[in-house]
Amino acid sequence: MSTKQTALPEPAAVVHLSVDMGKLTRVGARPGFLDYLVQLWDFRQFIFYDARARVQSGTRRDKLGSAWLLLNPVFNGLTYYLIFGLLLHTSGGITNFIGYLVIGIFMFQLSAGSITNGARSIQQSKSIIQAFNFPRAALPIGVNLRELMANVPLLIAMLLIVLVAPPAETISWLWLLLIPVVVLQFVFNLGIGLILARVIAKVHDVTHLLPLALRAVMYGSAVFYSYERFIDHPFILTMMRMNPIFIVIDIVRDCVLYGRVPLWQSWAALSLWALGALGVGIVFFWKGEESYVRG
Amino acid sequence: MSVDEQVMYAEGSPCVAVDRVAMRYRVASTELPVQTNTRGHLWLSRRRSPRSNLVTVKALNELSLVVGRGESLGVIGRNGSGKSTLMKLVSGQIRPSSGAVYASSTPIMLGVNAALVPDLSGDQNVVLGCLAMGLSRDEIDHSFDTIVELSGLEKSIHLPMKSYSSGMSSRLRFAIAASVDPEILLVDEALNTGDAQFADRSKRRMDELREKAGCVLLVSHSVETITEMCTRAIWLDKGDLIMDGPPQKVTKAYRDFTRHLSKGNNVSASKILEESRANLVVTEVMERVPGLRKSEANGHA
Repeated sequence: MSTKQTALPEPAAVVHLSVDMGKLTRVGARPGFLDYLVQLWDFRQFIFYDARARVQSGTRRDKLGSAWLLLNPVFNGLTYYLIFGLLLHTSGGITNFIGYLVIGIFMFQLSAGSITNGARSIQQSKSIIQAFNFPRAALPIGVNLRELMANVPLLIAMLLIVLVAPPAETISWLWLLLIPVVVLQFVFNLGIGLILARVIAKVHDVTHLLPLALRAVMYGSAVFYSYERFIDHPFILTMMRMNPIFIVIDIVRDCVLYGRVPLWQSWAALSLWALGALGVGIVFFWKGEESYVRG
Repeated sequence: MSVDEQVMYAEGSPCVAVDRVAMRYRVASTELPVQTNTRGHLWLSRRRSPRSNLVTVKALNELSLVVGRGESLGVIGRNGSGKSTLMKLVSGQIRPSSGAVYASSTPIMLGVNAALVPDLSGDQNVVLGCLAMGLSRDEIDHSFDTIVELSGLEKSIHLPMKSYSSGMSSRLRFAIAASVDPEILLVDEALNTGDAQFADRSKRRMDELREKAGCVLLVSHSVETITEMCTRAIWLDKGDLIMDGPPQKVTKAYRDFTRHLSKGNNVSASKILEESRANLVVTEVMERVPGLRKSEANGHA
Protein backbone atom coordinates (compact mmCIF):
# COMPACT_ATOMS: atom_id res chain seq x y z
CA MET A 1 0.00 0.00 0.00
CA SER A 2 1.78 3.09 -1.15
CA THR A 3 -1.17 5.42 -0.86
CA LYS A 4 0.09 7.23 2.21
CA GLN A 5 -2.55 9.22 4.02
CA THR A 6 -0.05 11.86 5.01
CA ALA A 7 0.49 12.72 1.35
CA LEU A 8 -3.17 13.61 0.77
CA PRO A 9 -3.40 17.03 -0.86
CA GLU A 10 -5.65 19.74 0.44
CA PRO A 11 -9.08 19.88 -1.18
CA ALA A 12 -9.57 22.49 -3.86
CA ALA A 13 -12.18 24.54 -2.08
CA VAL A 14 -14.31 24.72 1.00
CA VAL A 15 -17.94 25.56 0.57
CA HIS A 16 -19.86 26.73 3.58
CA LEU A 17 -23.28 25.32 3.06
CA SER A 18 -25.88 27.05 5.11
CA VAL A 19 -28.39 24.44 6.21
CA ASP A 20 -31.85 25.01 7.60
CA MET A 21 -31.65 23.09 10.87
CA GLY A 22 -35.24 23.77 11.90
CA LYS A 23 -36.59 20.35 10.88
CA LEU A 24 -33.48 18.37 11.73
CA THR A 25 -32.71 16.64 14.99
CA ARG A 26 -29.46 15.10 16.03
CA VAL A 27 -29.38 11.33 15.53
CA GLY A 28 -29.39 9.54 18.86
CA ALA A 29 -29.95 12.76 20.81
CA ARG A 30 -31.27 12.48 24.34
CA PRO A 31 -34.81 13.88 24.61
CA GLY A 32 -35.91 16.12 27.46
CA PHE A 33 -36.82 14.34 30.67
CA LEU A 34 -40.58 14.60 30.27
CA ASP A 35 -40.38 13.60 26.59
CA TYR A 36 -38.35 10.64 27.72
CA LEU A 37 -41.05 9.52 30.13
CA VAL A 38 -43.67 9.92 27.40
CA GLN A 39 -41.53 7.85 25.03
CA LEU A 40 -41.19 5.14 27.67
CA TRP A 41 -44.96 5.08 27.98
CA ASP A 42 -45.26 4.77 24.19
CA PHE A 43 -42.95 1.76 24.30
CA ARG A 44 -44.92 0.00 27.04
CA GLN A 45 -45.97 -2.79 24.67
CA PHE A 46 -42.33 -3.43 23.86
CA ILE A 47 -41.50 -3.57 27.57
CA PHE A 48 -44.31 -6.02 28.36
CA TYR A 49 -43.61 -8.22 25.37
CA ASP A 50 -39.90 -8.31 26.15
CA ALA A 51 -40.59 -9.28 29.76
CA ARG A 52 -43.14 -11.95 28.92
CA ALA A 53 -41.13 -13.56 26.15
CA ARG A 54 -38.07 -13.80 28.35
CA VAL A 55 -39.92 -15.40 31.25
CA GLN A 56 -40.95 -18.21 28.93
CA SER A 57 -37.51 -18.73 27.45
CA GLY A 58 -35.48 -18.11 30.61
CA THR A 59 -35.01 -21.69 31.78
CA ARG A 60 -35.66 -23.57 28.57
CA ARG A 61 -32.10 -24.89 28.51
CA ASP A 62 -32.53 -26.83 31.76
CA LYS A 63 -34.15 -30.24 31.87
CA LEU A 64 -36.35 -29.29 34.81
CA GLY A 65 -37.37 -26.01 33.16
CA SER A 66 -39.08 -23.42 35.30
CA ALA A 67 -38.99 -25.75 38.31
CA TRP A 68 -35.54 -24.29 38.94
CA LEU A 69 -37.14 -20.97 39.78
CA LEU A 70 -38.54 -22.73 42.84
CA LEU A 71 -35.81 -25.31 43.48
CA ASN A 72 -33.08 -22.68 43.75
CA PRO A 73 -34.39 -20.85 46.82
CA VAL A 74 -35.58 -24.13 48.36
CA PHE A 75 -32.06 -25.60 48.15
CA ASN A 76 -30.68 -22.33 49.42
CA GLY A 77 -33.06 -22.51 52.34
CA LEU A 78 -32.07 -26.10 53.11
CA THR A 79 -28.38 -25.17 53.10
CA TYR A 80 -28.92 -22.24 55.41
CA TYR A 81 -31.14 -24.37 57.65
CA LEU A 82 -28.42 -27.00 57.98
CA ILE A 83 -25.56 -24.58 58.53
CA PHE A 84 -27.09 -21.77 60.52
CA GLY A 85 -30.00 -23.55 62.15
CA LEU A 86 -28.53 -26.92 63.07
CA LEU A 87 -24.74 -26.34 63.14
CA LEU A 88 -24.29 -22.74 64.28
CA HIS A 89 -27.58 -22.33 66.17
CA THR A 90 -28.19 -18.78 65.02
CA SER A 91 -31.84 -19.64 65.38
CA GLY A 92 -31.71 -18.91 69.12
CA GLY A 93 -34.88 -17.17 70.25
CA ILE A 94 -36.72 -17.59 66.97
CA THR A 95 -39.90 -19.59 67.40
CA ASN A 96 -40.68 -20.61 63.82
CA PHE A 97 -37.19 -20.77 62.37
CA ILE A 98 -38.18 -22.48 59.12
CA GLY A 99 -40.79 -19.85 58.33
CA TYR A 100 -38.45 -17.10 59.45
CA LEU A 101 -35.65 -18.41 57.22
CA VAL A 102 -37.88 -19.09 54.20
CA ILE A 103 -39.34 -15.59 54.22
CA GLY A 104 -35.88 -14.07 54.61
CA ILE A 105 -34.40 -16.03 51.73
CA PHE A 106 -37.29 -15.68 49.29
CA MET A 107 -37.75 -11.97 49.83
CA PHE A 108 -34.02 -11.34 49.63
CA GLN A 109 -33.77 -13.41 46.47
CA LEU A 110 -36.46 -11.29 44.85
CA SER A 111 -34.38 -8.16 45.29
CA ALA A 112 -31.02 -9.76 44.58
CA GLY A 113 -32.20 -11.31 41.31
CA SER A 114 -33.92 -8.19 40.08
CA ILE A 115 -31.03 -5.90 40.94
CA THR A 116 -28.42 -8.19 39.39
CA ASN A 117 -30.33 -8.66 36.16
CA GLY A 118 -31.44 -5.05 35.98
CA ALA A 119 -27.86 -3.92 36.42
CA ARG A 120 -26.67 -6.13 33.58
CA SER A 121 -29.56 -5.37 31.25
CA ILE A 122 -27.78 -2.70 29.20
CA GLN A 123 -24.51 -4.60 29.00
CA GLN A 124 -26.26 -7.78 27.87
CA SER A 125 -28.52 -6.19 25.27
CA LYS A 126 -25.87 -4.33 23.31
CA SER A 127 -27.05 -5.83 20.04
CA ILE A 128 -30.68 -4.81 20.39
CA ILE A 129 -29.59 -1.33 21.52
CA GLN A 130 -27.47 -0.92 18.41
CA ALA A 131 -30.16 -2.26 16.14
CA PHE A 132 -33.10 -0.13 17.23
CA ASN A 133 -33.85 3.32 18.53
CA PHE A 134 -35.97 3.19 21.66
CA PRO A 135 -35.67 4.73 25.12
CA ARG A 136 -33.03 2.53 26.74
CA ALA A 137 -34.69 2.56 30.16
CA ALA A 138 -37.19 0.15 28.56
CA LEU A 139 -34.62 -2.64 29.03
CA PRO A 140 -34.07 -2.40 32.82
CA ILE A 141 -37.80 -1.90 33.29
CA GLY A 142 -38.54 -4.97 31.15
CA VAL A 143 -36.03 -7.06 33.09
CA ASN A 144 -37.53 -6.02 36.42
CA LEU A 145 -41.02 -6.83 35.19
CA ARG A 146 -39.79 -10.22 34.06
CA GLU A 147 -38.29 -10.87 37.49
CA LEU A 148 -41.54 -9.84 39.13
CA MET A 149 -43.60 -12.14 36.90
CA ALA A 150 -41.21 -15.02 37.43
CA ASN A 151 -41.33 -14.49 41.20
CA VAL A 152 -45.10 -14.58 41.70
CA PRO A 153 -45.15 -18.41 41.82
CA LEU A 154 -42.23 -18.25 44.24
CA LEU A 155 -44.12 -15.99 46.61
CA ILE A 156 -47.04 -18.40 46.54
CA ALA A 157 -44.64 -21.28 47.20
CA MET A 158 -43.18 -19.32 50.09
CA LEU A 159 -46.61 -18.91 51.65
CA LEU A 160 -47.35 -22.62 51.13
CA ILE A 161 -44.16 -23.62 52.91
CA VAL A 162 -45.06 -21.37 55.82
CA LEU A 163 -48.52 -23.00 55.91
CA VAL A 164 -47.24 -26.55 55.76
CA ALA A 165 -43.90 -26.61 57.57
CA PRO A 166 -44.20 -27.07 61.35
CA PRO A 167 -45.18 -25.03 63.26
CA ALA A 168 -47.87 -24.30 60.69
CA GLU A 169 -49.22 -20.76 60.56
CA THR A 170 -52.77 -19.79 59.66
CA ILE A 171 -53.93 -17.53 56.86
CA SER A 172 -55.05 -14.07 57.89
CA TRP A 173 -56.12 -10.88 56.07
CA LEU A 174 -52.67 -9.49 56.89
CA TRP A 175 -51.24 -11.69 54.14
CA LEU A 176 -52.78 -9.27 51.66
CA LEU A 177 -50.25 -6.68 52.78
CA LEU A 178 -47.71 -8.75 50.87
CA ILE A 179 -48.95 -7.05 47.68
CA PRO A 180 -48.01 -3.45 48.58
CA VAL A 181 -44.70 -4.65 50.02
CA VAL A 182 -43.80 -6.41 46.78
CA VAL A 183 -44.84 -3.37 44.75
CA LEU A 184 -42.62 -1.08 46.82
CA GLN A 185 -39.82 -3.63 46.62
CA PHE A 186 -40.20 -3.74 42.82
CA VAL A 187 -39.94 0.06 42.61
CA PHE A 188 -36.85 0.00 44.82
CA ASN A 189 -35.17 -2.79 42.78
CA LEU A 190 -35.91 -0.92 39.57
CA GLY A 191 -34.35 2.29 40.87
CA ILE A 192 -31.17 0.55 42.03
CA GLY A 193 -31.07 -1.47 38.79
CA LEU A 194 -31.26 1.73 36.71
CA ILE A 195 -28.40 3.31 38.61
CA LEU A 196 -26.22 0.21 38.37
CA ALA A 197 -27.09 -0.35 34.70
CA ARG A 198 -25.52 2.98 33.75
CA VAL A 199 -22.52 2.40 36.02
CA ILE A 200 -21.91 -1.08 34.57
CA ALA A 201 -22.37 0.12 30.99
CA LYS A 202 -19.51 2.51 31.69
CA VAL A 203 -17.31 0.47 34.05
CA HIS A 204 -17.86 -3.20 33.47
CA ASP A 205 -15.67 -4.18 36.44
CA VAL A 206 -18.52 -3.35 38.81
CA THR A 207 -20.24 -6.63 37.82
CA HIS A 208 -17.57 -8.44 39.82
CA LEU A 209 -18.27 -6.36 42.91
CA LEU A 210 -22.05 -6.64 42.70
CA PRO A 211 -22.35 -10.20 44.12
CA LEU A 212 -20.07 -9.19 46.99
CA ALA A 213 -22.15 -6.14 47.77
CA LEU A 214 -25.36 -8.17 47.63
CA ARG A 215 -23.93 -10.77 49.96
CA ALA A 216 -22.98 -8.04 52.41
CA VAL A 217 -26.54 -6.72 52.24
CA MET A 218 -27.83 -10.24 52.87
CA TYR A 219 -25.71 -10.63 56.01
CA GLY A 220 -27.01 -7.27 57.12
CA SER A 221 -30.65 -8.19 56.56
CA ALA A 222 -31.18 -10.73 59.35
CA VAL A 223 -32.03 -13.48 56.90
CA PHE A 224 -30.95 -16.37 59.13
CA TYR A 225 -30.52 -14.82 62.57
CA SER A 226 -32.67 -12.63 64.78
CA TYR A 227 -31.88 -8.92 64.69
CA GLU A 228 -32.35 -8.97 68.44
CA ARG A 229 -28.79 -10.23 68.86
CA PHE A 230 -27.71 -6.64 68.12
CA ILE A 231 -30.05 -5.16 70.69
CA ASP A 232 -27.01 -3.95 72.69
CA HIS A 233 -25.36 -2.34 69.68
CA PRO A 234 -27.56 0.67 68.91
CA PHE A 235 -25.44 1.66 65.91
CA ILE A 236 -25.66 -1.70 64.15
CA LEU A 237 -29.34 -1.87 65.03
CA THR A 238 -30.08 1.52 63.48
CA MET A 239 -28.06 0.64 60.39
CA MET A 240 -30.08 -2.55 60.03
CA ARG A 241 -33.39 -0.76 60.55
CA MET A 242 -32.39 1.58 57.70
CA ASN A 243 -31.61 -1.31 55.35
CA PRO A 244 -34.49 -1.40 52.85
CA ILE A 245 -34.19 -5.15 52.27
CA PHE A 246 -34.37 -5.77 55.99
CA ILE A 247 -37.47 -3.55 56.18
CA VAL A 248 -39.11 -5.63 53.45
CA ILE A 249 -38.29 -8.90 55.18
CA ASP A 250 -39.36 -7.53 58.55
CA ILE A 251 -42.74 -6.32 57.26
CA VAL A 252 -43.44 -9.65 55.59
CA ARG A 253 -42.51 -11.58 58.75
CA ASP A 254 -44.80 -9.35 60.79
CA CYS A 255 -47.70 -10.00 58.43
CA VAL A 256 -47.20 -13.67 57.72
CA LEU A 257 -45.59 -15.13 60.84
CA TYR A 258 -46.49 -12.93 63.77
CA GLY A 259 -49.93 -11.73 62.69
CA ARG A 260 -49.27 -8.13 63.67
CA VAL A 261 -49.74 -4.99 61.62
CA PRO A 262 -46.32 -3.60 60.65
CA LEU A 263 -45.34 -0.23 62.14
CA TRP A 264 -46.17 2.80 60.00
CA GLN A 265 -42.52 3.85 60.36
CA SER A 266 -41.47 0.74 58.42
CA TRP A 267 -43.90 1.57 55.63
CA ALA A 268 -42.75 5.18 55.51
CA ALA A 269 -39.08 4.21 55.40
CA LEU A 270 -39.65 1.63 52.68
CA SER A 271 -41.71 4.06 50.57
CA LEU A 272 -39.00 6.69 50.91
CA TRP A 273 -36.37 4.20 49.82
CA ALA A 274 -38.43 3.01 46.88
CA LEU A 275 -39.46 6.40 45.53
CA GLY A 276 -36.04 7.89 46.22
CA ALA A 277 -34.27 5.06 44.39
CA LEU A 278 -36.62 5.26 41.42
CA GLY A 279 -36.37 9.06 41.20
CA VAL A 280 -32.59 9.11 41.38
CA GLY A 281 -32.33 6.04 39.16
CA ILE A 282 -34.45 7.27 36.28
CA VAL A 283 -32.81 10.72 36.17
CA PHE A 284 -29.32 9.25 36.45
CA PHE A 285 -30.07 6.69 33.74
CA TRP A 286 -31.64 9.29 31.43
CA LYS A 287 -28.56 11.51 31.76
CA GLY A 288 -26.45 8.74 30.26
CA GLU A 289 -28.94 7.87 27.50
CA GLU A 290 -26.55 8.68 24.67
CA SER A 291 -23.66 6.70 26.09
CA TYR A 292 -25.26 3.24 25.90
CA VAL A 293 -24.72 2.68 22.19
CA ARG A 294 -20.99 2.24 22.72
CA GLY A 295 -18.97 0.96 25.61
CA MET B 1 -3.14 24.64 -3.37
CA SER B 2 -5.27 27.66 -2.68
CA VAL B 3 -8.34 27.09 -0.58
CA ASP B 4 -11.25 29.20 -1.65
CA GLU B 5 -14.02 29.81 0.79
CA GLN B 6 -17.54 30.52 -0.27
CA VAL B 7 -20.97 30.42 1.29
CA MET B 8 -23.90 28.69 -0.32
CA TYR B 9 -27.46 28.27 0.78
CA ALA B 10 -29.06 24.84 0.77
CA GLU B 11 -32.51 24.84 -0.73
CA GLY B 12 -35.26 23.67 1.60
CA SER B 13 -34.51 21.32 4.46
CA PRO B 14 -32.14 18.43 3.79
CA CYS B 15 -32.73 14.90 5.03
CA VAL B 16 -29.30 14.24 6.49
CA ALA B 17 -26.59 16.66 7.54
CA VAL B 18 -23.29 15.19 8.67
CA ASP B 19 -21.44 17.92 10.53
CA ARG B 20 -17.68 17.48 11.00
CA VAL B 21 -18.03 13.90 12.15
CA ALA B 22 -14.98 11.85 13.03
CA MET B 23 -14.72 8.37 14.49
CA ARG B 24 -11.75 7.08 16.42
CA TYR B 25 -11.41 3.95 18.50
CA ARG B 26 -8.85 3.35 21.22
CA VAL B 27 -8.04 -0.32 21.31
CA ALA B 28 -5.33 -2.57 22.64
CA SER B 29 -2.89 -3.81 20.05
CA THR B 30 -0.93 -7.02 20.42
CA GLU B 31 1.85 -5.59 18.30
CA LEU B 32 4.92 -5.31 20.52
CA PRO B 33 6.03 -1.74 21.13
CA VAL B 34 9.59 -0.88 20.14
CA GLN B 35 11.72 -2.79 22.63
CA THR B 36 14.02 -0.64 24.70
CA ASN B 37 15.31 -3.27 27.08
CA THR B 38 16.31 -6.34 25.10
CA ARG B 39 17.60 -8.00 28.24
CA GLY B 40 14.18 -8.24 29.89
CA HIS B 41 12.46 -11.59 30.14
CA LEU B 42 10.38 -12.29 27.10
CA TRP B 43 7.33 -13.56 29.00
CA LEU B 44 7.32 -10.45 31.13
CA SER B 45 7.37 -8.03 28.23
CA ARG B 46 4.75 -10.07 26.37
CA ARG B 47 2.46 -9.87 29.32
CA ARG B 48 2.85 -6.19 29.77
CA SER B 49 2.72 -5.10 26.19
CA PRO B 50 -1.03 -5.39 25.45
CA ARG B 51 -1.73 -3.10 28.36
CA SER B 52 0.79 -0.44 27.47
CA ASN B 53 0.13 -0.56 23.75
CA LEU B 54 -3.17 1.19 23.30
CA VAL B 55 -3.46 2.51 19.78
CA THR B 56 -5.93 4.89 18.21
CA VAL B 57 -7.65 3.57 15.12
CA LYS B 58 -9.02 6.29 12.89
CA ALA B 59 -12.07 4.81 11.24
CA LEU B 60 -13.27 8.07 9.78
CA ASN B 61 -11.56 11.44 9.59
CA GLU B 62 -13.47 14.66 9.90
CA LEU B 63 -16.21 14.62 7.30
CA SER B 64 -19.12 16.87 6.44
CA LEU B 65 -21.89 15.90 4.09
CA VAL B 66 -25.36 17.14 3.27
CA VAL B 67 -27.87 14.85 1.59
CA GLY B 68 -30.98 16.55 0.28
CA ARG B 69 -34.49 15.26 -0.23
CA GLY B 70 -34.82 13.06 -3.28
CA GLU B 71 -31.11 12.31 -3.44
CA SER B 72 -29.66 8.81 -3.56
CA LEU B 73 -26.10 8.84 -2.37
CA GLY B 74 -23.81 5.96 -3.26
CA VAL B 75 -20.74 5.32 -1.11
CA ILE B 76 -17.78 3.43 -2.56
CA GLY B 77 -14.33 2.65 -1.32
CA ARG B 78 -11.99 -0.18 -0.50
CA ASN B 79 -12.30 -2.35 2.60
CA GLY B 80 -11.57 -0.28 5.70
CA SER B 81 -12.31 3.01 4.01
CA GLY B 82 -14.97 3.92 6.57
CA LYS B 83 -18.06 3.20 4.48
CA SER B 84 -19.82 1.06 7.03
CA THR B 85 -18.66 3.32 9.86
CA LEU B 86 -20.34 6.23 8.09
CA MET B 87 -23.55 4.25 7.79
CA LYS B 88 -23.49 3.24 11.44
CA LEU B 89 -22.91 6.84 12.43
CA VAL B 90 -25.86 8.07 10.37
CA SER B 91 -28.13 5.34 11.71
CA GLY B 92 -27.12 6.10 15.29
CA GLN B 93 -25.69 2.64 15.94
CA ILE B 94 -22.48 4.27 17.11
CA ARG B 95 -21.79 7.71 18.47
CA PRO B 96 -19.17 9.86 16.70
CA SER B 97 -16.01 10.78 18.63
CA SER B 98 -16.60 14.35 17.51
CA GLY B 99 -19.15 16.18 15.41
CA ALA B 100 -22.81 15.28 15.02
CA VAL B 101 -25.23 13.78 12.55
CA TYR B 102 -28.56 15.52 12.02
CA ALA B 103 -31.53 13.93 10.33
CA SER B 104 -35.13 14.87 9.61
CA SER B 105 -36.39 11.53 10.98
CA THR B 106 -34.96 8.32 12.39
CA PRO B 107 -32.86 6.68 9.65
CA ILE B 108 -33.50 2.97 9.19
CA MET B 109 -30.60 0.73 8.26
CA LEU B 110 -31.29 -2.15 5.96
CA GLY B 111 -28.47 -4.46 6.69
CA VAL B 112 -28.01 -7.60 8.60
CA ASN B 113 -26.74 -5.90 11.69
CA ALA B 114 -29.97 -5.91 13.61
CA ALA B 115 -28.97 -8.67 16.02
CA LEU B 116 -31.95 -9.98 17.92
CA VAL B 117 -32.54 -12.17 20.95
CA PRO B 118 -31.15 -15.66 20.22
CA ASP B 119 -33.22 -17.43 22.89
CA LEU B 120 -36.52 -16.27 21.47
CA SER B 121 -38.22 -17.85 18.50
CA GLY B 122 -38.32 -16.19 15.10
CA ASP B 123 -41.91 -14.97 15.41
CA GLN B 124 -41.26 -13.55 18.88
CA ASN B 125 -38.27 -11.73 17.46
CA VAL B 126 -40.41 -10.31 14.67
CA VAL B 127 -42.87 -8.85 17.19
CA LEU B 128 -40.10 -7.64 19.50
CA GLY B 129 -38.13 -6.04 16.67
CA CYS B 130 -41.20 -4.29 15.27
CA LEU B 131 -42.19 -3.05 18.73
CA ALA B 132 -38.64 -1.75 19.19
CA MET B 133 -39.02 0.20 15.95
CA GLY B 134 -42.09 1.84 17.43
CA LEU B 135 -44.82 -0.06 15.59
CA SER B 136 -48.07 -0.79 17.40
CA ARG B 137 -49.46 -4.31 17.87
CA ASP B 138 -52.15 -3.67 15.24
CA GLU B 139 -49.57 -2.60 12.67
CA ILE B 140 -47.50 -5.67 13.49
CA ASP B 141 -50.45 -8.04 13.13
CA HIS B 142 -51.10 -6.38 9.82
CA SER B 143 -47.61 -6.80 8.40
CA PHE B 144 -46.60 -10.02 10.20
CA ASP B 145 -47.37 -12.32 7.28
CA THR B 146 -45.51 -10.09 4.84
CA ILE B 147 -42.43 -10.15 7.07
CA VAL B 148 -42.48 -13.94 7.41
CA GLU B 149 -43.01 -14.30 3.68
CA LEU B 150 -40.12 -11.95 2.86
CA SER B 151 -37.82 -13.80 5.25
CA GLY B 152 -38.71 -17.08 3.53
CA LEU B 153 -38.43 -18.94 6.83
CA GLU B 154 -41.82 -20.67 6.63
CA LYS B 155 -42.16 -23.22 9.49
CA SER B 156 -38.76 -22.39 10.99
CA ILE B 157 -40.19 -19.08 12.16
CA HIS B 158 -41.37 -20.88 15.32
CA LEU B 159 -37.90 -22.18 16.23
CA PRO B 160 -35.54 -20.28 18.53
CA MET B 161 -33.26 -17.96 16.62
CA LYS B 162 -30.11 -19.59 17.95
CA SER B 163 -30.95 -22.65 15.86
CA TYR B 164 -30.92 -20.59 12.65
CA SER B 165 -28.16 -20.65 10.07
CA SER B 166 -26.45 -17.31 9.58
CA GLY B 167 -28.26 -16.90 6.27
CA MET B 168 -31.63 -17.55 7.91
CA SER B 169 -31.12 -15.03 10.69
CA SER B 170 -29.81 -12.36 8.34
CA ARG B 171 -32.88 -12.87 6.15
CA LEU B 172 -35.12 -12.44 9.16
CA ARG B 173 -33.28 -9.29 10.22
CA PHE B 174 -33.62 -7.85 6.78
CA ALA B 175 -37.33 -8.66 6.69
CA ILE B 176 -37.91 -6.99 10.06
CA ALA B 177 -35.97 -3.85 9.15
CA ALA B 178 -37.75 -3.67 5.79
CA SER B 179 -41.19 -3.81 7.38
CA VAL B 180 -41.40 -0.03 7.86
CA ASP B 181 -41.27 2.59 5.11
CA PRO B 182 -38.53 4.91 6.30
CA GLU B 183 -37.99 8.45 5.09
CA ILE B 184 -34.25 7.99 5.32
CA LEU B 185 -33.11 4.60 4.10
CA LEU B 186 -29.60 3.27 4.65
CA VAL B 187 -28.50 0.20 2.76
CA ASP B 188 -25.23 -1.54 3.53
CA GLU B 189 -24.90 -4.00 0.73
CA ALA B 190 -21.45 -5.08 1.78
CA LEU B 191 -23.14 -7.00 4.58
CA ASN B 192 -25.91 -8.52 2.54
CA THR B 193 -26.03 -12.26 2.27
CA GLY B 194 -28.56 -14.81 1.17
CA ASP B 195 -29.15 -17.18 -1.68
CA ALA B 196 -30.25 -16.18 -5.17
CA GLN B 197 -33.93 -16.67 -4.42
CA PHE B 198 -33.78 -14.38 -1.41
CA ALA B 199 -31.59 -11.86 -3.22
CA ASP B 200 -34.30 -11.53 -5.83
CA ARG B 201 -37.06 -11.06 -3.27
CA SER B 202 -35.06 -8.63 -1.16
CA LYS B 203 -34.09 -6.59 -4.20
CA ARG B 204 -37.74 -6.14 -5.11
CA ARG B 205 -38.58 -4.97 -1.59
CA MET B 206 -35.56 -2.67 -1.57
CA ASP B 207 -36.64 -1.08 -4.87
CA GLU B 208 -40.08 -0.46 -3.38
CA LEU B 209 -38.57 1.14 -0.30
CA ARG B 210 -36.17 3.23 -2.34
CA GLU B 211 -38.99 4.65 -4.37
CA LYS B 212 -40.94 5.66 -1.27
CA ALA B 213 -37.98 6.98 0.73
CA GLY B 214 -37.08 10.65 0.91
CA CYS B 215 -33.40 9.94 0.60
CA VAL B 216 -31.20 6.89 0.30
CA LEU B 217 -27.63 6.21 1.37
CA LEU B 218 -26.24 3.10 -0.25
CA VAL B 219 -22.95 1.37 0.40
CA SER B 220 -21.88 -1.01 -2.33
CA HIS B 221 -18.81 -2.65 -3.77
CA SER B 222 -20.59 -2.93 -7.06
CA VAL B 223 -19.91 0.03 -9.32
CA GLU B 224 -22.90 -0.97 -11.45
CA THR B 225 -25.29 -0.73 -8.49
CA ILE B 226 -24.05 2.77 -7.72
CA THR B 227 -24.31 4.11 -11.27
CA GLU B 228 -27.68 2.45 -11.74
CA MET B 229 -29.37 3.50 -8.53
CA CYS B 230 -27.73 6.68 -7.30
CA THR B 231 -27.92 10.33 -8.25
CA ARG B 232 -24.67 11.19 -6.51
CA ALA B 233 -21.66 9.26 -5.27
CA ILE B 234 -18.82 9.72 -2.82
CA TRP B 235 -15.53 7.85 -2.66
CA LEU B 236 -13.90 7.20 0.69
CA ASP B 237 -10.39 5.93 1.23
CA LYS B 238 -8.86 5.11 4.62
CA GLY B 239 -11.36 7.34 6.36
CA ASP B 240 -10.94 10.33 4.06
CA LEU B 241 -13.36 11.78 1.55
CA ILE B 242 -11.66 11.61 -1.84
CA MET B 243 -14.35 12.51 -4.31
CA ASP B 244 -17.93 13.74 -4.34
CA GLY B 245 -19.91 14.11 -7.53
CA PRO B 246 -22.00 12.47 -10.23
CA PRO B 247 -21.86 8.66 -9.98
CA GLN B 248 -20.41 8.10 -13.47
CA LYS B 249 -17.44 10.37 -12.77
CA VAL B 250 -16.75 9.07 -9.27
CA THR B 251 -17.07 5.40 -10.14
CA LYS B 252 -14.81 5.87 -13.16
CA ALA B 253 -12.04 7.38 -11.04
CA TYR B 254 -12.51 4.68 -8.41
CA ARG B 255 -12.43 1.92 -11.02
CA ASP B 256 -9.23 3.30 -12.53
CA PHE B 257 -7.73 3.51 -9.08
CA THR B 258 -8.51 -0.09 -8.15
CA ARG B 259 -7.41 -1.36 -11.57
CA HIS B 260 -4.02 0.24 -11.14
CA LEU B 261 -3.76 -1.12 -7.63
CA SER B 262 -4.56 -4.67 -8.64
CA LYS B 263 -1.93 -4.48 -11.36
CA GLY B 264 0.57 -3.30 -8.80
CA ASN B 265 0.90 0.19 -10.26
CA ASN B 266 0.84 1.83 -6.87
CA VAL B 267 2.33 5.08 -8.13
CA SER B 268 -0.31 5.72 -10.78
CA ALA B 269 -3.02 4.59 -8.35
CA SER B 270 -2.00 7.10 -5.73
CA LYS B 271 -1.72 9.72 -8.46
CA ILE B 272 -5.39 9.22 -9.30
CA LEU B 273 -6.26 9.36 -5.63
CA GLU B 274 -4.32 12.58 -5.11
CA GLU B 275 -5.70 14.19 -8.22
CA SER B 276 -9.29 13.38 -7.24
CA ARG B 277 -8.71 14.65 -3.74
CA ALA B 278 -7.11 17.84 -5.03
CA ASN B 279 -10.21 18.60 -7.07
CA LEU B 280 -12.57 17.90 -4.18
CA VAL B 281 -14.88 20.66 -3.02
CA VAL B 282 -15.44 20.17 0.68
CA THR B 283 -18.72 21.13 2.28
CA GLU B 284 -18.85 22.64 5.72
CA VAL B 285 -22.20 22.76 7.43
CA MET B 286 -23.25 26.18 8.64
CA GLU B 287 -26.29 26.05 10.87
CA ARG B 288 -29.05 28.33 9.79
CA VAL B 289 -31.75 28.43 12.40
CA PRO B 290 -35.18 29.93 11.86
CA GLY B 291 -35.79 32.47 14.64
CA LEU B 292 -38.31 30.61 16.77
CA ARG B 293 -36.42 27.38 17.24
CA LYS B 294 -33.11 28.95 18.08
CA SER B 295 -32.98 27.81 21.68
CA GLU B 296 -33.73 24.25 20.66
CA ALA B 297 -31.01 24.17 18.05
CA ASN B 298 -28.51 25.56 20.53
CA GLY B 299 -29.45 22.77 22.87
CA HIS B 300 -28.30 20.23 20.33
CA ALA B 301 -24.86 21.76 19.92
